[in-house]
Amino acid sequence: MLLQLWKQFRDSRVGRSVFRVGVPASNLERAQAAVSSFLLHFQPAKVNRRTLQFSATLGLGLISLYLFIILTVTGVLLMFYYVPSTNQAYQDMKDLEFVVTAGLVLRNMHRWAAHLMVISVLLHLCRVFYTAAYKAPREFNWLVGVCLLLLTLGLSFTGYLLPWDQLAFWAITVGTSIAAYAPVVGEKLKFLLLGGNVVGQSALLRFYVLHVVVLPLAALFLMAVHLWRVRKDGGLAQPGEAEPAQTVVGLAELPQNKTYGLMELARGTTPAVGVQPEEEVFTWPNLVFREMLLFLGVTALVLVLAIFWNAPLEELANPVHPPNPAKAPWYFLGLQELVAHSAFWGGVVVPALIVVALVMLPYLDRKRVGIGVWFARERKLAVTIFTVCLVAATVLTLVGSAFRGPNWALQVPWKPLAIEER
Amino acid sequence: MNSTVNNEPNRRDFVQLVSGWCATLFALAASGAAAARFMMPNVLYEADRRYRALKPDDYPEGATFLPDARLFVLRKGNSFRAVSAVCTHLGCTVLHNNDGNGFHCPCHGSQFNENAAVTGGPAPKPLPWYLMTLTRDGRLMIDASQEVKPDKYLVV
Repeated sequence: MLLQLWKQFRDSRVGRSVFRVGVPASNLERAQAAVSSFLLHFQPAKVNRRTLQFSATLGLGLISLYLFIILTVTGVLLMFYYVPSTNQAYQDMKDLEFVVTAGLVLRNMHRWAAHLMVISVLLHLCRVFYTAAYKAPREFNWLVGVCLLLLTLGLSFTGYLLPWDQLAFWAITVGTSIAAYAPVVGEKLKFLLLGGNVVGQSALLRFYVLHVVVLPLAALFLMAVHLWRVRKDGGLAQPGEAEPAQTVVGLAELPQNKTYGLMELARGTTPAVGVQPEEEVFTWPNLVFREMLLFLGVTALVLVLAIFWNAPLEELANPVHPPNPAKAPWYFLGLQELVAHSAFWGGVVVPALIVVALVMLPYLDRKRVGIGVWFARERKLAVTIFTVCLVAATVLTLVGSAFRGPNWALQVPWKPLAIEER
Repeated sequence: MNSTVNNEPNRRDFVQLVSGWCATLFALAASGAAAARFMMPNVLYEADRRYRALKPDDYPEGATFLPDARLFVLRKGNSFRAVSAVCTHLGCTVLHNNDGNGFHCPCHGSQFNENAAVTGGPAPKPLPWYLMTLTRDGRLMIDASQEVKPDKYLVV
């Protein structure tokens, strides 16, 4: 009955105005669907067979996008109950946990998806590095990606303060103190971030506005650019890819005595040219179904995490009594570990060097080798340097998060040190 | 309009171009500066940085921690001083050493001597000493917005 009704609607005048193609049955309709549907047109009508291989990308970019969608949906729902006030915020968290229907699960989903997104974005960066997918013509998209990584960290960091518990309060106190170590502007930056000298009401409001409006909009915009560029730069980086052609013809090269269609202004080959037809498959259903499956998988993972593990909520923030040890969010613990040895190196030099190195990477490493290949032999030096940095960062983060106990003394995670008063 | 045909800018085009760009850049810079200044609050609704403590005789010899103000009042005979308890490293609260000399931070192990100078650990600066005065009704007043040298005592 319902199916009949649906079919009737789809074949009606209204239905046909909404769904131009319907469920495609022929190859022609498959191509038409990809071109004429808003949600599908982000992708080309046909993609390379290799794009479908999970091992080519591990789906990490898409996973990050899905996590962002989950975070947006759960975050908007949480906003209906949350008031960014130092008097009420913590109470609202308790309400979400114990009073609001499904509030606990939504908050858990939001928290775990946020952690997962930091991880998936970092892994996505590693994937793009190890497959040399940042080389021409994709240098700028790598840059956009670096900005998105920073935005992801910013989103996670600003969200950290909102529960207004001890964990939140002291993580932000430590985090903003690290920011204050920046030369010249450091103290001003901290004042600007906090809207005052201490982590208080103005800081909470500022972090809230950044978290729910400013940073998500910026991330959304950059994600759109990022995805658009993936298509314009020829889709997934493929081994044996041709040298990128200049995509726009200079005006001087064109005779001035005739008018031009848009197609004549574009130069170079589209990604499909030079590719054998048998290497290409239709986006619908091959790619679209795999993407949907991945979305299902990511949602299921977040849901399972949210059902079995609760997001931490410690006691109400107390500016007088820091927990011992006070720790920044885990992705900053590598930096905090360095800061524990030298504030200047950990707080200023190393983070600045990391960002500068990431920004300059595609413009320094220009040799066209190993594109689309994992750990290409010809890139031994680059791969080694990156891996060493990666291992160092991982070890520092691990030490900072699991091996540091009270008074920042070394401990083993399975035998935590007791807090002793001196 | 002649210029657009032969593509050679004349003086008028140049003046228009330069003044147009100057105006645009000025407008952008001014809006940017105003927005940045807007984000710097002029009034802070934080706790008063001047803290009214108890009368001098209410404090024992040695160091007393005042949790509300996050500072220590140090008494030696009838001389008083006040030092911040906020670690200059990452903002944790420092503790007074049990032997009565100096301070240490529980978070990252910074050490400070009895004059709050750094003797160990990652802290980049000494703990600041604050101006201490006597109010008219004979209570101690500590002004955390005014730093003093460690050898400045309030003698009662």
